Amino acid sequence: MTEIQENVITFDKVKFSYSGSNGWALNGIDLSVKKGEFLSVIGHNGSGKSTLARLINGLLEADAGTIQVLGMNVAEGKNPIEIRKHVGIVFQNPDNQMVASIVEDDVAFGPENIGIERAEIGRRIEWALKAVGMEEYRHSTPARLSGGQKQRIAIAGVLAVKPEIIVLDESTAMLDPKGRREVIEVIQRLNKDEGMTVILITHFMEEALLADRTVVLNRGEIVLSGTPEEIFENGDKLEAFNLCLPRITEIVNSLNRGGMSVPNVLRPEALAAAVAENFKSAGIEEGRSSPVSPAEINSAHEWDIDIKNLTFTYSRKSAFASKALNGINLHIDEGEFFGIIGHTGSGKSTLVQHLNALIKLPQAEKKYRKKRVKKGQPQPELPEITIGEYDLSRKKCDFRKLRSDVGMVFQYPEYQLFAESVFADVAFGLKNFKKELTAEQVEEAVRSSIEMVGLDYNEVKDKSPFDLSGGQKRRVAIAGVIVTRPKILILDEPAAGLDPLGKKEITALLHKLHEEWCRTVIIVSHDMDEIAENCTRAAVISGGKVEMCERPSELFRHGEALRGLGLDTPLTSKISEELAKSNITIECDCTAEDFTRKVLEVYGGGNA
Amino acid sequence: MLNDVTFGQYYPAKSFVHKSDPRIKLLALIAYIVSLFLAKNFYALAACFVVLVTTIIASRVPFGSVMRSIKAIIVLLIFTAVLNLFFHGGEHLLVQWGIIKIYREGIIFTVFFVFRLFFLVMGSALLTLTTTPVELTDGIESLLTPLKWVRFPVHELALIMSIALRFIPTLIDETNRIISAQKARGADFESGNIFKRIKAIVPILIPLLISAFRRAEELGDAMDARCYSGSKNRTKYKKLKFGWRDVIIVLLFAALITGVVMLNIYAYRIFPEIYEYIRLS
Repeated sequence: MTEIQENVITFDKVKFSYSGSNGWALNGIDLSVKKGEFLSVIGHNGSGKSTLARLINGLLEADAGTIQVLGMNVAEGKNPIEIRKHVGIVFQNPDNQMVASIVEDDVAFGPENIGIERAEIGRRIEWALKAVGMEEYRHSTPARLSGGQKQRIAIAGVLAVKPEIIVLDESTAMLDPKGRREVIEVIQRLNKDEGMTVILITHFMEEALLADRTVVLNRGEIVLSGTPEEIFENGDKLEAFNLCLPRITEIVNSLNRGGMSVPNVLRPEALAAAVAENFKSAGIEEGRSSPVSPAEINSAHEWDIDIKNLTFTYSRKSAFASKALNGINLHIDEGEFFGIIGHTGSGKSTLVQHLNALIKLPQAEKKYRKKRVKKGQPQPELPEITIGEYDLSRKKCDFRKLRSDVGMVFQYPEYQLFAESVFADVAFGLKNFKKELTAEQVEEAVRSSIEMVGLDYNEVKDKSPFDLSGGQKRRVAIAGVIVTRPKILILDEPAAGLDPLGKKEITALLHKLHEEWCRTVIIVSHDMDEIAENCTRAAVISGGKVEMCERPSELFRHGEALRGLGLDTPLTSKISEELAKSNITIECDCTAEDFTRKVLEVYGGGNA
Repeated sequence: MLNDVTFGQYYPAKSFVHKSDPRIKLLALIAYIVSLFLAKNFYALAACFVVLVTTIIASRVPFGSVMRSIKAIIVLLIFTAVLNLFFHGGEHLLVQWGIIKIYREGIIFTVFFVFRLFFLVMGSALLTLTTTPVELTDGIESLLTPLKWVRFPVHELALIMSIALRFIPTLIDETNRIISAQKARGADFESGNIFKRIKAIVPILIPLLISAFRRAEELGDAMDARCYSGSKNRTKYKKLKFGWRDVIIVLLFAALITGVVMLNIYAYRIFPEIYEYIRLS
């Protein structure tokens, strides 16, 4: 290694606290970042990650300590613009960083601000858009782009100022896997090819692994620092900092506990190779695990969902008509924990909105009249949906009652909270649906649903929902839906944007709800691991059609097909896929637990 | 609920009119409106109509789309037209019911008035149909530039307008999402009296406001991080270009104003009998 080890950022005993809060958001941070380094920063929500990002370019000013960026003192902050020219930040929400309605105008915003002349701005737009692979979209409008594309435009907008350091403040948190992959590829390229210093703040352990060095923040302090391998070696410590191990490390650990010797690797291919090595030294040339145990057959069918031939077009009569659903046929049994997978724009949200008649079937609309069909032409097939005893294609269907039986939790449900107290917000739905309830009955229902989501009723009921933390807000929002005791609960991306621990807690909550309150739980997700770990069956939606609908063990065998649809496979199937190349066939239900069990079974079986 | 709101009414196409400079289009619209109000007889009004039709044909916007703009004012139009018809005085009495007297002059004036308003609305609609909101803001900013000399914050105003335009689709999406979420919780926006309906809006309005403030804050940070510091030392990437199309438009509308003025003065020489018959008093 002959590269010059020059520090571009140095934090020296930096402290910061937000006005109006007691306690330090950052408490004595010492950190230095080298030129060309790729640093990842992880930490639970509220650990001070975003504060750190904002201190680097003077959006916030430190209360104590000094921050040096490229030899300039940030704390003296007389001219933050000089520093901001060299440090670009990409934020979390792609929508909230776009200034202009046309891509090139937005990218031009930064250079315009620092007085670059026109011809040079043109060159920079071209270069920056090329660097993020978006040159074809120069004249598009951001509103029509996907999340990943928008975020790449945001990166281009930052690049056009030509910074030496780029900071990503949870910039992938709101994206689907495809968008996340796109953004991460861009970042890696900028780091490797352009020699840019990158600071990646993230909730995704899998992304943190890609860096040269990882820093762990806990309650405003740096508690761990080292290569990703070093950091993820000591798992118990991470849990103490409200973080989780990456899934792969969990698998490595349980394999080691089961008697194999697998080094602490971070990539599925490496893990597969290490496992194969173990088999080889144990003298196992080939092996096959026992098949997946057949699914338990559910006898109750009172609340089955049946969808036939569902087609839907947005703005049907205008020039902008777009077909969202194109002949969906789907049957969901009572008692399932069902997954709906699909990338942004695949039609999955449109599909679930039909299930509680937020979008009504055409025949159920008041104005609907049967079309006369010319002789000889076939009768057009009308979509049908039945949920339990509700027939959604009938005008007479009691849609209000349906909505209280089919609960729907939207994406980022905390953004729909509005009432002055947690109690009033949770009671909102109940009072709408069941006007006949007495005050005591309402209180009882609200209490039990707030307790169900794991909050202390007496502590939170009078609080304003806006004073709660992010994870608590989401729980309150979920409580506001389950308060009517729906038989079927639908959740759109229930864990999106939460930190790893928050995700785990929400997943546990959903299982508890599934066992105790709701017959059927349906989650819409693009996190394959989440689907693999939790769902009994899952449907893949693409282009408004059901491409596949199977149990995870079957579904994720079609790795090629899934990737072709812009989706991914869970970690366990990636490893299985690799292992199959070494003649080891692992058949599992794709959960990490079953996977390690089956690997150890083949390993032990061969040894015996 | 807001599904049918497509913001603005831009009709995407690559026509002569679409490609010309928004500043010139704005000025042309002003010239056209001035001509409409200068016009004192049907001949002059017909000249405006000819220019309007020519521009519509050159814009390749379907006639129907332009006509649709009239829908918005149809009630107002009928109301004023009826008032004019019934209460306009004159010499040639045609019909009389009680106090309502309809004169020939009244009919002629009403027809003139209705057409003038039609043409006005259609002309304005044509501008928004052929010009994106962004181009319009740029055009307005550029036309207001002289006001900088009197310390009018032209750049800031233009930035506010363009950010507002940028966020309208985002906020419409957000509103739809909140409406759906509250509907799923049993909120009812469609029945009840006016007070109930106003009350029903609260669960939409509050989350929307909170989110707008959150967005504003984040946008502020993002702008700061991208070195924004007001209009000082700022350059502008997009420059509006004055091209051959604009010369043609300038000539056309200059001709229109001259034509209208000439027709106001000399129209009586063209088919004097007809002119006399449809003359406005």
